[in-house]
Amino acid sequence: MSITDRQSAPGVGADRRPARAADRWYAWVGIGRAIYFVGVAASLFCLLVPLVLVMWLSVFESEIPAIPPSGYTFGWYGKALANKQFTGGASLSFEVALLATLVGLGISIPASLALHRRRVPFSGAIVQFLMSPMILPAIVIGAGLYVALIRLEIATGLPLVGSTMGLGAGHVLLTIPWCLRLLLANICGVNRTIEEAAASLGAKPFAVLGKVTLPLMWPGVVAAALFSFVVSFGNLEISLFLVAPGQITLPIAILQYLEWRIDPSVAAISVLQILLITAGLLLTDRFVPLTKVV
Amino acid sequence: MNARETIVADEVPPGSISVVTEAGLVAPALVITVVIYLFPLLLLVRYSFNAFKPGEFMVTALTLENYVNVIVDPYYRAVLATTISMALAVTILSLVLGIPLAHFISRSVRYKKALILLVIIPLFVGNAVRAAGWMLALGEQGLVNATLIRLHLVGSPLSIMFTPAAVLIGSISVNIPFVVLTIQSVLEGVGASVEEAASSLGATPFEVFRKVTWPLALAGIRTATVISFILSMNAYATPVLLGGPGFQMMAPVLTDEILAKNNWPLGATLAFVLIATTLGLTWGFGRLRLRARP
Amino acid sequence: MSRVTIHSLSKYYGTSAVLDGFELEINQGELVVFLGPSGCGKTTTLRLIAGFITPSSGRILVGERDITHVPAYDRNIGVVFQNYALFPHLSVFENVAFGLRRRKRSETEIRQKVEKALDMVAMGHLANRMPRELSGGQQQRVAIARAVVIEPDVLLLDEPLSNLDAKLRLSIRQEIRRLQKSLGITTILVTHDQEEAMSIADRLVVMKDGEIQQIGPPQRVYAEPANTFVADFIGGANFLTGRVIDNKFQTANGLILAAAHLPPDCRSVVIRPERIKITSHHGSLDNAITARIANETFLGSGRIFDVRLQGGDTLSVYVGAGEDGQPSPGHDDVVLHIPAKDVVGIRDATARAEP
Repeated sequence: MSITDRQSAPGVGADRRPARAADRWYAWVGIGRAIYFVGVAASLFCLLVPLVLVMWLSVFESEIPAIPPSGYTFGWYGKALANKQFTGGASLSFEVALLATLVGLGISIPASLALHRRRVPFSGAIVQFLMSPMILPAIVIGAGLYVALIRLEIATGLPLVGSTMGLGAGHVLLTIPWCLRLLLANICGVNRTIEEAAASLGAKPFAVLGKVTLPLMWPGVVAAALFSFVVSFGNLEISLFLVAPGQITLPIAILQYLEWRIDPSVAAISVLQILLITAGLLLTDRFVPLTKVV
Repeated sequence: MNARETIVADEVPPGSISVVTEAGLVAPALVITVVIYLFPLLLLVRYSFNAFKPGEFMVTALTLENYVNVIVDPYYRAVLATTISMALAVTILSLVLGIPLAHFISRSVRYKKALILLVIIPLFVGNAVRAAGWMLALGEQGLVNATLIRLHLVGSPLSIMFTPAAVLIGSISVNIPFVVLTIQSVLEGVGASVEEAASSLGATPFEVFRKVTWPLALAGIRTATVISFILSMNAYATPVLLGGPGFQMMAPVLTDEILAKNNWPLGATLAFVLIATTLGLTWGFGRLRLRARP
Repeated sequence: MSRVTIHSLSKYYGTSAVLDGFELEINQGELVVFLGPSGCGKTTTLRLIAGFITPSSGRILVGERDITHVPAYDRNIGVVFQNYALFPHLSVFENVAFGLRRRKRSETEIRQKVEKALDMVAMGHLANRMPRELSGGQQQRVAIARAVVIEPDVLLLDEPLSNLDAKLRLSIRQEIRRLQKSLGITTILVTHDQEEAMSIADRLVVMKDGEIQQIGPPQRVYAEPANTFVADFIGGANFLTGRVIDNKFQTANGLILAAAHLPPDCRSVVIRPERIKITSHHGSLDNAITARIANETFLGSGRIFDVRLQGGDTLSVYVGAGEDGQPSPGHDDVVLHIPAKDVVGIRDATARAEP
């Protein structure tokens, strides 16, 4: 049989299904497509409903979150900002996130410069080890750090649990993996021939690093900094073990408040957190496209 | 994760910084991670073999008693069973909802960036804030009940908050971003033209999905399954806020043992039982999937 | 293997038209090439015909059958993609068998047809390989076999050669041509490479900004371009602007050229570089012009001379390696001879305005 043999007249080759069956078939395809779009919509719905509702609640007039609301007001934002738990939590979160980001960057930049060449023995294993806090349950990491800090407290007499230092240490375990991930991905984008060009022009190894490689990976550094900050600012599980009464981060403050009650003021502070984090993400996107980060 | 693949062995031209210097650059990251991450975890492992006497805190010992207790005690068995079944349900439903959205995003052109942002923002906003949104949706006077009553579908409000259903819904919305981003990046690599090729060859949308999209996305779906399972096994804020005091999952229980009851040995044991169960089941899924596919 | 009729096909995204009022009839067994720069709408047209996107307006007919709203999987149109789009999880054999399996053909028939199709593209011996184990050229052959094995009414090829190196491009080009003729499949090929287009096409459709600029056999499109865009896009071209006076063309610099076909309102003429002859004497030839050679570029197969005419106009002239009269740049005058039939008048006045 030749490949050009026709089984039906030209132009009707595709009409292999009888017309009526085809109609029914298209109906099934329509149903399938509908299910697909329902899945897409439901998925987006699940993602956005909580955020939208929090924003809605933050402008409810009445303290009791009843739907439909009796009226609207922006007054809760003022009340939320007057709440010492929230403002204290926000400032501690800010402090810890800043500290963890700076420390994380400070040790990740040199590490990534060395690790991306894979000359140090066991580079692959080292990278995996440094990244592993990303995968290990944060609760377990927090618990481990908590017992270790208590031991250290007993040994040294220093108040570590609940201190900014102790929290910062825990959050560094969040920032190192993210910094490394972003920096390593970014260094690989730096054209090696540019470094070679610098060397051929007489730049010594450290001059190449400082004057060429680092400036070229600048977008990665900025993205790593912003991303680390966002991840640290929003962390709950590790902080859970490392805070002390009167020394709590914003996510913990929100959690503890919610365990007790839900009202528009906690929604208002949540909206502020959402806005801060969204701003951080949008800013990151300007340096390294978010599609490449996550 | 990503960075491991992006590192490629490189020839380093003469005159570059030496291996010793490079090792020096990696050292701070390595030392810090060992001190605040590996050492505390090892300490936690050690403590899980210690004994606990009420009133006396922790007693140094080398006993398997805690592990035996966790396995034999019907309370902890029930907690573990709840955690596993919740994690399974959440994972399956997150996949069912997440796959269509992941596919939709990977095939959209104009709104890709906006959609990705919509997926990423909830990811970083934090679980407590998202739980607050669901509290408003599911409460006695929440959105769901208000809608049902207005539509005269129910006479009196349903109690949805503080039920496993609430935890399920909340956890799905926590897991969807991870599922979507993982699968979307794989589908992005597969490209739309392969699906178009299949449909030009006469494959109906169902056949395109079954014969082309699914097998090619399988690697991503597997990773997403693992991530989603690990995440929901270790969930903290969602079960605490949406499940209420009567609903017990592993992460809150072990936190409680360590922080509130000061029973470090038991807390540590629960932590490692949790990790072991998670890893074991994850590994088991992998085997299962391989067996099922000839 | 059917006639294709495309009737006022348009595609809008929002208010911007990617394709506007596309009108074309393709004869049975004909190979038509859509040619144009990127963004001209050629690939959009192909995807509309394949059924991957739906038109904003217009109709597409294959034979007598209106397929405008038929889904891609019921069109029976074979598509070869720019990136080949082989199924990475299926062997070469299963890739080619994919369409037949969807058509629920018997196992024996599938085996027979797939083997035949693979032999046709000289890939029979690699039937059990996976796509990633093949070179680019081999993948392309499999993609072609996969598209023709379903005996499509129409075969569409989207820049099929752009990912191949120059040598392979030539041989696969000839192979596509041979295969298309022997199978007699109505074929549309999309490319931005004018040389590829001219060498393979029965008819060219030159496109720009979503509109057809010219339709015709390659020789005609080359010899009589409809406008400056076509003239410039296809082959090298000299443009001279001016106006028609007494059936002759007069440039702004005062050069007067006799021309065989000169629309009275034309504002520019095009002269192909290889049509201009360089001689040393005036003789009794038409359009004999004194000029001086300003520059010379060696091309291997010949030379390009940039010549400056007395009035100030410049022309480039191609002289093949084997041809007589190889002048060299200098101060000596040469005589150019431009046959009147090769001075082609063009209607639009926007000479070389296009990028």
